[in-house]
Amino acid sequence: MYQYNEVDQTLVDERVEQYRDQTRRYLAGELPEDEFLVLRLMNGLYIQRYAPMLRVAIPYGLISSEQLRKLAHIARTYDKGYAHFTTRTNIQFNWPKLEEVPDILAELAQVQMHAIQTSGNCIRNTTTDPYSGVYAGELEDPRAYCEIIRQWSTLHPEFAYLPRKFKIAVTGGAEDRAASQVHDIGLHLVQNDAGEIGFEVLVGGGLGRTPVIGKKIRDFLPKEHLLTYLDAILRVYNLKGRRDNKYKARIKILVNALGADEFRRLVEEEWEYSRGGELTLTDAEIARAKSFFKPFDYDANAAADTSFEQQRASDSAFNTWYERNTVDHKVPGYRIAIVSLKPYLKPAGDITDTQMELVADLAEKYSFGEIRSTHDQNLVLADVKKSDLYAVWQALDSNNLARPNIGTLLDMIVCPGFDFCALANAKTLNIADQINERFDDLDHLYDLGDIQLNMSGCINACGHHHVADIGILGVDKKGEDWYQITLGGSSREDASLGKVLGKSVAADDVANTLEKILEVFVEQRQEEELFRDTFKRVGIDPFKENVYAVAH
Amino acid sequence: MPLLINQKIVENDSWQLVDIEALEQLQDLSDADIQGDIIVPLAFYLEHRDQLLSRSGRLGLQVNGDDDLAALYAEQANVALIAVEFPTFRDGRGFSIARQLVRIGFAGEIRAVGDVARDRLAHMQSCGFNAFLIPEDRFSEEDLSAFAEVSVNYQGTVADPRPIFRR
Ligand code: HEM
Ligand code: SF4
Repeated sequence: MYQYNEVDQTLVDERVEQYRDQTRRYLAGELPEDEFLVLRLMNGLYIQRYAPMLRVAIPYGLISSEQLRKLAHIARTYDKGYAHFTTRTNIQFNWPKLEEVPDILAELAQVQMHAIQTSGNCIRNTTTDPYSGVYAGELEDPRAYCEIIRQWSTLHPEFAYLPRKFKIAVTGGAEDRAASQVHDIGLHLVQNDAGEIGFEVLVGGGLGRTPVIGKKIRDFLPKEHLLTYLDAILRVYNLKGRRDNKYKARIKILVNALGADEFRRLVEEEWEYSRGGELTLTDAEIARAKSFFKPFDYDANAAADTSFEQQRASDSAFNTWYERNTVDHKVPGYRIAIVSLKPYLKPAGDITDTQMELVADLAEKYSFGEIRSTHDQNLVLADVKKSDLYAVWQALDSNNLARPNIGTLLDMIVCPGFDFCALANAKTLNIADQINERFDDLDHLYDLGDIQLNMSGCINACGHHHVADIGILGVDKKGEDWYQITLGGSSREDASLGKVLGKSVAADDVANTLEKILEVFVEQRQEEELFRDTFKRVGIDPFKENVYAVAH
Repeated sequence: MPLLINQKIVENDSWQLVDIEALEQLQDLSDADIQGDIIVPLAFYLEHRDQLLSRSGRLGLQVNGDDDLAALYAEQANVALIAVEFPTFRDGRGFSIARQLVRIGFAGEIRAVGDVARDRLAHMQSCGFNAFLIPEDRFSEEDLSAFAEVSVNYQGTVADPRPIFRR
């Protein structure tokens, strides 16, 4: 993974001291509240319902064992012994003290971590596919480009006060596990007819109040132009994005207002000035970035092992976990293992200090010392030898990290909702529990196949409810929590926004409603069809009919 | 209001911002009425261009992100100063305006005015501002150290446009 050089370290260290001074000036009354607010947001610090919330950056979801141990230490020392992984592969602490944040940042800086630009109206953490570099079918490992973007976007002097936040996601090939089409910019590595590799460029995706799928503005951008082109997009947005209304300030609104063609024209016009200029990537820089993401020294004999098949045959619990929570690796004899952060009756994405330490140890012992965080709020040990899987599973299982539910209805993305978030309209964690209790029979879930269920506690859509097979949105009706359900959304290659099923349902009725939805699916399903395919085939009407049928 | 140029406090500012109301009262824009170096809003300049250019004092223009920037850029060679206004500190358009001014070769003073304060000075300088007019109540001598808080950058600056990988 990327290792800081002197410049990276200096920047992070100086940023900590700068923030320490900003906090000091704020507490001394020298810095106005509204200005400190913006400065602390650019350093990942929200003030929430009960306490501040600190969001720490995990660039493109890649973290080392040493870093994860540091996060465990911070959770234990400055917080209540746990933290929360987000859909943008960052981690949040829910209870730090405002005065202690500079110290937390100084601790993070010791392990090449920070909270820079994890919030605020600036360029946020660039995200990517959690299987980067290890799945077959990738054109190139996108993380080298993510790192190039990370550096360029960090403390960018021109783009620190954008109209609104700005999120970029990069994928390494045709598969999309990064929800790239609902990002402000989605970059897909593609190959042109001449066999060269470059980027397909999408702009103007986003969720929130006005969910929009990104629009393609370029079929093929040669890689060396990556930064000059991003620079042009950001300058057009910075100058022309709306600033009169924060709900209309995202780039998606600008792109919709101008139309993709006019937006493209403006970008290309701006690009004329910088194209081929100083920001053009050199071969040496691309090679340098790539050198940090080389394939590991894999064991050439890994595939020869036979113990693993015996363990699968003799231990059915292990076998189930293997089938559900591990994925093909491009190197024979290896698997990608997913650490489920979706245990029974616990908030999705939460992890305790001891669990963090356990995962850090497992990574060190069995997966080259690296861990990835995913868009669906799980962790990944990307390079586990098949012969080590049994030991990994046993350790995860005894720490409540091996619930074999990846890809199922219970592998939900859930935002913190009313229990933590000051903007929430409704609770989400209790509904997630209700669903867990009702769909406790995992065999039944396996029969249903992969289904993505996402839930948000308000229209800001942090839980990505628009882009799930089943989306649940908390709404407030006269002080009561109600839930609106959408069906047929996707954040994958076939990205689409879910359709509203009908009027919202009461809190007690969410699991009942899901049952009715699944009844229709089972009835209409052809063979092993996935929920999304059945939905595409039959549309929303049969679901509506069953859910809202008047009882006779 | 303290004015910083080259990271130093400048005691005597020869420039005077003339607001639109005062200008509209005037019969004549010749030196008899307004002496010395004046800054006028771009929109006013576009209406009274020839008269303003025939004055003997130096001329500056004030703009913000709502103005017609193409018109500003077309006129840049005629003026010695461009004051880019930050209507609120959250409005980051001024950073891009400064970048574009440098890019088109504007060689005069690029002055940040409006809601300008310490925590944005370094970014402003990187984008091409070379003068900063800071409201009295937001100014302290310590602001001069703001430029050195973060000593490294990845992107390049107006002073050295090379990004880190070309240095
Ligand atoms: C608890 C404190 C939180 C607050 C106050 C908060 C606030 C917000 C707001 C206001 C937006 C909408 C922004 C817009 O549309 O312009 C938003 C979007 C978003 N939030 Fe949160 N959020 C919180 C926690 C989280 C968590 C825990 C996650 C991850 C699980 C998350 C992930 C996201 C994502 C991915 C979006 C982007 C949606 C988009 O692209 O439009 N947020 N958040
Ligand atoms: S979706 Fe709403 S309730 Fe949930 S975290 Fe975001 S702002 Fe809070």
